[in-house]
Amino acid sequence: MAIRHTDAAVDLRAISRAFGAAPAVSRITFRVERGETVFVRGPNGAGKSTLLRIIATAISPTAGTGQVLGFDLLAGREEIRRRTELVSHRTRLYEDLSALENLRFAAVIHGVDPRRALKALGEVGLAHVASERVRGFSQGMRQRLAVARATLRAPELFLLDEPYAGLDGQAKELVDLLVLGAQRDDRTVLVVTHDATRTHLATRIVVMRAGRLYSPAPVVDAEAAQP
Amino acid sequence: MTFALQALAVAAKDLRIEVRGRHALGVVLPFACTQLIAFGLSFGPDRSLVAQTAPALLWLAIFFASVLTFRGAYEAEGEDGALEGLLLAPVDKGAVFIGKAGAVIAQLLALEVAIVVLTGALFGVVMTGDLPRLVATLMLGTVGLASVGSLFGVLTEAARAREAVFPLLVLPLTTPVLIASIRATALVQAGHPADAASWLGLLAAFDSVFLLAGVTLFGHLLED
Repeated sequence: MAIRHTDAAVDLRAISRAFGAAPAVSRITFRVERGETVFVRGPNGAGKSTLLRIIATAISPTAGTGQVLGFDLLAGREEIRRRTELVSHRTRLYEDLSALENLRFAAVIHGVDPRRALKALGEVGLAHVASERVRGFSQGMRQRLAVARATLRAPELFLLDEPYAGLDGQAKELVDLLVLGAQRDDRTVLVVTHDATRTHLATRIVVMRAGRLYSPAPVVDAEAAQP
Repeated sequence: MTFALQALAVAAKDLRIEVRGRHALGVVLPFACTQLIAFGLSFGPDRSLVAQTAPALLWLAIFFASVLTFRGAYEAEGEDGALEGLLLAPVDKGAVFIGKAGAVIAQLLALEVAIVVLTGALFGVVMTGDLPRLVATLMLGTVGLASVGSLFGVLTEAARAREAVFPLLVLPLTTPVLIASIRATALVQAGHPADAASWLGLLAAFDSVFLLAGVTLFGHLLED
C-alpha cells in the first residue's frame, strides 16, 4: 500500500512532459484542493490534455514530481487509478460490444456490481439501445455511454477531457449533472474544455498556453486570456 | 477469485468481439487454407513426401495464422483508446494478460481442428498416432504461441514499435515452440510417442516461463 503524502487532490511540482524533442508541458506547478472544480482552458496544443493524462497516470512526466490524492504519481499510480476516473473524447468503448456489455465489462474490471450497468444506462437515456452495438452509435451517444461508465463507481477525482465535445444540449446537461453530483458529494473535478458556456460550474479557472499554466486566475481574467 | 473473474471477463469480451467481427473465419482460416494448399502443391504428387512433412505443414500453417490472431486480439483495443481504459482500470494486469492469452488459445484451438481436418482432406494424411499425446502437443504448442503473442502483441498498439514487434520479437521467440511442436507431432505420428516426451517437456517449460513472464511483465508493457 502506497503512503499518502498530502491532503491536496492534486499537487504537481515542476512537472514536464515531452514527446520526442517537443515539450508538451513545461515545468508546471499546480495544486488542486479536495472538493474543488477546476476548469483548464486554453488553445489547441496548449498541453491541457497532456496535463490531465499525467494526473490520470495514463502517461508519466519526463521531469518533476507530484502527488494525486496523496499518492506519488509513479510509485502510487495503482492507488491513484483506483480513486480517479478519466472521461475523455476518446471514449475507450468496444465497437463490437453492446452498450450494456461495455458497461458490464467495465463494472467487472473496476470491481463494481455489474447489475448497476442497466441503471447507469437508464440515467443517461440509453436504456432503449442497451443491446445495440456501439459501432452504430453517434459520437453523442458514445459520450453518454462514457459518462454512464464514469458513474458506475464513485471516484474521489473526476478528470474530464473535453467532455462536451460533440454533444447536443441535452447531453451537455448530463455532463453538467455529473459535475454537479461530484460537487454535491464533495469530490474533486478537473475539466479540460473549450466550451466557455460551462465555466459557471467552476470554482476556479486556470489557463494553459504553450505548455505553461497561468494560475490561479480570476474567472474574468481567464476568459479574457482566451485567444 | 477476483483475478480469475477479471481474466474470465477479458477472455469472454475478446471472444465475443471475435465471434462478431468474424476475423478468424474471414481472414485467418482462408489464410491457413491457402498456405496448406500452396505447401501441398509444392511437393507434387508424391504422397509419401507429403505424409512425412505433414507435421511441419500443419504447424507452419498454425504458426503463420497465429500471427494474424495476435494482431486481431489487439485491434479492438486500439479502436477508440480501449487499451488505455484497461491501463487505467484498477485491474490486475496479469489477469488481463491471462484473459487475452486464454481467448487467443481458444481461437487457435478451433483453428487447429479445422487445419487438422483440412490436412487430412487435402493430403490424405490422418493424424492417427497416440491421440492423447497428439492433443497434448497441440495444447502445449498453442499455449506457447499464445503466451508470446499475447504478451508482445500489446506493443503493436505502441506507434513506434508497431512494425518491428512481430519480425523482431514474436517470430524469433516462438521458433523454439514451432520446432518442438513439429518434432513432437512427427514422433507421435510416426508411432514413437515415448520419444516425444522430451519435446513435450520442453514445450511445458517454455509455456510456464512465458505465462509467468506475461503475468509479471504485461503491466509494464502497457505503461507509457
